[in-house]
Amino acid sequence: MSGRRTAPIGRADGDVPPVLAIGEIVGDAYEVRAVLGAGGMGEVYEAHDRVLNRRVALKVMRPNIPADYLLREGRALAALHNPGVVAVHTMGLHRDVAYLVMERVHGLSLDRVVDDRRARDEPFETGEVLDLLVSIADTLAVVHRAGLAHRDVKPGNVMLAPGGRVVLMDFGLVLPQADRAGHRIVEGSMQYMPPEALAGVVAEGEAPLGDIYALGILGYELLVGEDPHEGDDATSLYRSKAKMPQPRVSRACPEVPPALDDLLVQLMSPDPSERPPGADAVLWSLRSIRARVGRGGEPRAFSALLVDDDADMRTILSLHVRAAVPEAVVEEAPDGRGALAAVRRHVPDLLLLDLDLPDMNGVEVCMMLRGMELGDACMIVSVSARATRADVELLEQLGVQSLVKGPTLGQELGNVIRRMRPGSRGRAPSAKR
Amino acid sequence: MTGARDPAIEDLLAAVRRDFAAKLPERGAELAALVARAAWDDVRRAAHKLRGSAATYGFVDLGAHAAAIEDLLLEAADAGAAPDDAARARLDALVAQAVAACERASQEGA
Repeated sequence: MSGRRTAPIGRADGDVPPVLAIGEIVGDAYEVRAVLGAGGMGEVYEAHDRVLNRRVALKVMRPNIPADYLLREGRALAALHNPGVVAVHTMGLHRDVAYLVMERVHGLSLDRVVDDRRARDEPFETGEVLDLLVSIADTLAVVHRAGLAHRDVKPGNVMLAPGGRVVLMDFGLVLPQADRAGHRIVEGSMQYMPPEALAGVVAEGEAPLGDIYALGILGYELLVGEDPHEGDDATSLYRSKAKMPQPRVSRACPEVPPALDDLLVQLMSPDPSERPPGADAVLWSLRSIRARVGRGGEPRAFSALLVDDDADMRTILSLHVRAAVPEAVVEEAPDGRGALAAVRRHVPDLLLLDLDLPDMNGVEVCMMLRGMELGDACMIVSVSARATRADVELLEQLGVQSLVKGPTLGQELGNVIRRMRPGSRGRAPSAKR
Repeated sequence: MTGARDPAIEDLLAAVRRDFAAKLPERGAELAALVARAAWDDVRRAAHKLRGSAATYGFVDLGAHAAAIEDLLLEAADAGAAPDDAARARLDALVAQAVAACERASQEGA
């Protein structure tokens, strides 16, 4: 990384006194112990929860920043429930200052790791970068499915926690995708902002594409070790991003797989419509590239595993998968045990999973796959006739999308596959079925 | 059933739909036989399968009847008892509707 850092837009600068004092008791329960971080908008402290006897992170806004930001962040985090985001415990008001109490995540922020690696002249391996990008894209897919856009994806907001957990931090700029006025306000970290956000002209429904752009910049920086665009102010950065030829990782790092090189170019496209249509598509591409890198780079066919105890459902699901990807390799399993055995043999790109199986339910299968870290490498989509709201919420936490059996299932499944593989089309499969 | 698509795909979908529809009278009869034996768990499973597959193959009425049967039996199971007389009467009516829908679907799909 270049080490150059432009000041975040929309955040105040300058020396300001801390909002809370060390030792101060907030909300009758949280004793402030240390400052974890401070920015223009707010401060994050480590605090001791005297009731539950645990360490927590406590975030407050500076007095000049509207409390709405913290409320939005708290509600967004509360809606997500995913290992890739911090858990929120509560919100409150202390001395007229709004505070947000969150899980204390121990670890190192990615920008610090990057700086350390640079100091030791240890560049990131392609595989390491792919693992990080997959984790971040996985979390972004959950954020976007919840109807939100993070809007501040950058190494400083990625925490590397023990056990390989990668956490996307600081949802201070999060907005509902439908908030048209909010997306016209220019705020965020300029290096990572797409040109349309720098210009304040984010179109309706395109806010998630800004997160995808930022992911591309982050990937470029990790691989190349410097920013892809030059400029110390918004105007010069905008010119570089919107008008100059697009950067390519392969110019500096010829060893990077062409598929990853091409994907990063797509992510960083100045035209939002030329970026992948969603984080799900990015995730699939990254997983596919990672699988190929791990296997020496040979191409492999798209594969799907269909898990349903009803043979008629497997027949029609197979047809719909092959309608979207004619060359797909389709395997079938009639129950949960069969599904687990099949995944152990070969991790598919797409796993279509009935929730109501004879031996174990689909949620249990998902949890076992996630527990074995086998399910992390494939896109899991539940297909159910009667999923409860609780089932759907639990599946969302596991990063699983849900579809309902019915006359539109084929079309919805085709849409899911096209989001995973933007190049796929509904061509005819062979007559074999 | 899935909107405008490649004619070859539509042909294949139509073929699997015909195959599915041809088996429906048999599945309706199996459902009625399970009800006659009061094999409630088997009835629920059979109804569950029909609910999902019939709806997906485009036989929406049959899917709705099967869903009503499954939901009724799930309610009874939640209450920890076999269907009482009132539930049994409702179940018989629903199964009769499902069997009739299987016959209709078979003719429609042929």
